[in-house]
Amino acid sequence: MSARLRKRNNAVLQSLAQIGACALFLLTLLAAIPRSFRYFRETSRQLWFVGAMSLTIIMVCGLFVGMVLMLQLYHVLSIFGGTSASGMVVALSVYRELGPVVTALLFAGRAGTAITAEIGLMRATDQISAMEMMAVDPIAYVATPRFLAGLIAMPLLCCVFCAMAIFGGHLVGVTWLGIDNGTFWANMTAVVDVRTDIVNGVLLKSLAFGAVVSLIAVFQGFTTPATSEGVAYATTRTVVASSIAILALDFVLTAFLM
Amino acid sequence: MSQPRSSYAVGTGLFIVLGFAALAYLATQTSSVANVHQGDSYTIDAQFTNIGQLKERAPVKIAGVRVGQVQSIALTPGHDVADVKMSIDKRYDQIPQDSVATIFTSGLLGDQYVGIDYGTAKQVVAAGGTLARTKSTQPLEEMLGKFFGAGGVVDNVGGSYTVTADFTNVGTLSVGAPVKMAGVVIGSVQAVRVDPVKLNARVVLAIDKRYNQIPDDSAAAVFTSGLIGSQYVAIQPGGSPDALKNGDEMILTQSAMQLEDLIGKFLVNGSPGDKKDAGADKK
Repeated sequence: MSARLRKRNNAVLQSLAQIGACALFLLTLLAAIPRSFRYFRETSRQLWFVGAMSLTIIMVCGLFVGMVLMLQLYHVLSIFGGTSASGMVVALSVYRELGPVVTALLFAGRAGTAITAEIGLMRATDQISAMEMMAVDPIAYVATPRFLAGLIAMPLLCCVFCAMAIFGGHLVGVTWLGIDNGTFWANMTAVVDVRTDIVNGVLLKSLAFGAVVSLIAVFQGFTTPATSEGVAYATTRTVVASSIAILALDFVLTAFLM
Repeated sequence: MSQPRSSYAVGTGLFIVLGFAALAYLATQTSSVANVHQGDSYTIDAQFTNIGQLKERAPVKIAGVRVGQVQSIALTPGHDVADVKMSIDKRYDQIPQDSVATIFTSGLLGDQYVGIDYGTAKQVVAAGGTLARTKSTQPLEEMLGKFFGAGGVVDNVGGSYTVTADFTNVGTLSVGAPVKMAGVVIGSVQAVRVDPVKLNARVVLAIDKRYNQIPDDSAAAVFTSGLIGSQYVAIQPGGSPDALKNGDEMILTQSAMQLEDLIGKFLVNGSPGDKKDAGADKK
């Protein structure tokens, strides 16, 4: 009994320690930002890797999310004869919730895992130690550029995702289901507000998610046991922890921003 | 420098340009820029006795065209009227002083906005001025009430007497539904049950004692308030000299009209496709 209790206490303490270590790691990352300006090229290379290389999956997924959303809404709204409102519902739901959240989940799966695995392998093959030997700060050279790249890439990816979703909704709604083109845009522009929907919804949320996903990915890479098993474990943890953090943070952000 | 680096740079550059292009697209094409656009504007006041669901930043329209937005809504200190401050675009500074500000609803269920109907006065409202003539929002309930003569809780002080009426179909009539004569509530439905012998619905009506002069050949009908309203029993007076007494039965009744039947009567021809569907359903 007491052994089990101790074990549970241990688990609680461990997760607390994990959160604390993650927060301290964030401070280290932020403190290293001025030093990492020297490695500007590395940041831009990471931006290319996590941003530009994620474009395909983001665009395809955005297109399909918009299309399926429109298809579903059309069938429900046709019961009430309100199909002309479906464009605006697609826009609002994508801007406020689906865009940032789905982009962040995809980003965690596409870029977060790659970052964790790369850094984990760097540690497993002693590249990090080698950098320290050469007086290169691994935080400023490896961690911060990836964190910054994620921070910059997420809002941009989210914008692309939303634009593709609108395009997909337009494709299904106007081209296939025959909603009037003018009504589609007019209803949308009537309700979408730049401040509450695009700045608060798309940009702010995706910036927060980008920070959380990149932080978790880099942190997991840096703290994983430097073995091949440890890298596999850390990669899984990145996806799990990021997904939970994204969805929980989404609720909190929505509650505050609405 | 080396080849791969420049390709990174090009890819990253393309990505950033695409991201910002998408943002610009979202901000300009899918949202109304007018919602953020705050050009030069001036403020005018209007006082309403009831603003309904009017919110800050709701549009202000003239002839249906958006000319500004509601800046603030506050109670006038010491009065039970709402003071609505509207900021109007400088381009529209020719609003006559005797214009009427009205709170409208876009459609049946839409948001509310302030509409300004031009008056005829030569003087225009100055910045910070007040529109003296306003029309407040009409609660939907009141408007519907005017149409259907509903409302008015029956006063049961005088006690009531019960009569029964048999209907072949009461629709969704429920206990407590109003009993009306000439649109005025005179009682309520006390019970709805099925007659085990005649196999029709027996409705017990409790009618206020004050209305004890109802002829005993009056007819009872089940009506619906409005299209989607609840059902009630309407009593249409007859011509008999004798009045209904406690425990009497009303002979003449008219059952609830099903909306489907009613529409079916209008659309005698119907659409052949619908009929085919209905037939298929029955099979």
